Amino acid sequence: MDPTNHETEAPLPDINPLRMQVQAKIKKLELLSSTGLWILALFTALSMGALRDFDFLPPLSESIRVALGAGPPIKYINGALLIYGFSAIILILTQMASDKKPSGALGHFGYLGAFYLFYHFSEGLRENFWAVFSVGLTILGLQSYHVWNYYHEKIQEQAEILLELDKLLD
Amino acid sequence: MFDNLIARAIVPVTIAVTGFVIFVCILLYSFVKSDMTAEALRNVNNCADTVVKSTRSAMMEDDQRAIQDIVSNIGTRPSVELIRIYDQEGQVQYAGEEKQGVQSETVETHIANFLQADFATKKQDQRDIDHSSGNITVSLPILNEPKCSTAACHFHADDEPVLGYFSIAVTSGALEKTLAVLRYRMMIFSVMVLFLTIGGVTALLRMNLFLPILRLTYNAEQAAQGVTEPDLPKSDHKLGKLNKDFRLLVKQRDQALEDLKALEVPDGNVDDGSDKS
Repeated sequence: MDPTNHETEAPLPDINPLRMQVQAKIKKLELLSSTGLWILALFTALSMGALRDFDFLPPLSESIRVALGAGPPIKYINGALLIYGFSAIILILTQMASDKKPSGALGHFGYLGAFYLFYHFSEGLRENFWAVFSVGLTILGLQSYHVWNYYHEKIQEQAEILLELDKLLD
Repeated sequence: MFDNLIARAIVPVTIAVTGFVIFVCILLYSFVKSDMTAEALRNVNNCADTVVKSTRSAMMEDDQRAIQDIVSNIGTRPSVELIRIYDQEGQVQYAGEEKQGVQSETVETHIANFLQADFATKKQDQRDIDHSSGNITVSLPILNEPKCSTAACHFHADDEPVLGYFSIAVTSGALEKTLAVLRYRMMIFSVMVLFLTIGGVTALLRMNLFLPILRLTYNAEQAAQGVTEPDLPKSDHKLGKLNKDFRLLVKQRDQALEDLKALEVPDGNVDDGSDKS
């Protein structure tokens, strides 16, 4: 084969669609990497409401209160919060250690919101607000760090692929 | 890369330990505060019960002067902020010296609750603690007993379950002081635990992981700049096989370079292996 004969060489496939795909994936990963922070912000907003004992919400009607029944004793909620906090932190640390895809941030937000509500209905929110807030901040802080770390690595992988594609294009 | 490694190792530990220690301390403080408050309320309740028992004899004899003396004497104690005896209609009959700044609204609310309550609730004591103003208030009903209803001089009918109400408010300064001391001690304890845990983890990671990696990184830089394997700084064995394999790679590269040099012909060309003879 004559190396100087360029006409006989097979043309390189167009890599622009592939580049665009990688770029779109990077954008998607960037969005996903900030989900932890969004949930943390949402929890902070909920905590601001809990600090005011949800006084901006209309009070529940008597019939709904009767249907819901009396709130659980505060010492039981405290015990449940302690077990939940410990388990959640261990769970997130295990996820981080095994480099698993982060999941369950919204679930944690739901659990913490439920604790605020239980304390509110048992009339113990003022005394126990800071306990829920500190454990929530810890759990969601760890979770958002894990989310950010996990997706940041994925973004770096995609950026390396994009760099290789750019080299091919050049 | 190394900065990221340090951050990745220490940040999660710091967040988890700091958050959990703060959370547990807040929860523990809440438990202790609740227990101590309940104990203080029980003590004041017992004191109130003792006062009612001690005035019972004077009440039986309808000795109003003696009752007023008892109430006044108790009211002179610095820790007693308010002391009152109410009749069945909720009117104050006897009162001791009342200190300034006493929130008598709490006592009035107790009496109003007693007057509105049914028979079962009327018999229950009412307790309140205001940590912000430092008051413990206890109100209890003075119940009708058989010796009251059968007394000759001053009797009440059998169907009158409650003869009056007794209210006392004492300062909770000592309790607040103890709680404040407990708070400071817990804060100091938490800070010490945090420093020890984070410091310990950082020291262990630095000693067993970060420093060996730093040494290996330095060796890799030196090897990339052409330093031969024997001239590389000696490294420890904390990274195990990784360190040995790295040195073996450098050694093989040095050997390959030496072999390449030996194959070079004197005129500068590399021997291609063909037989020219």
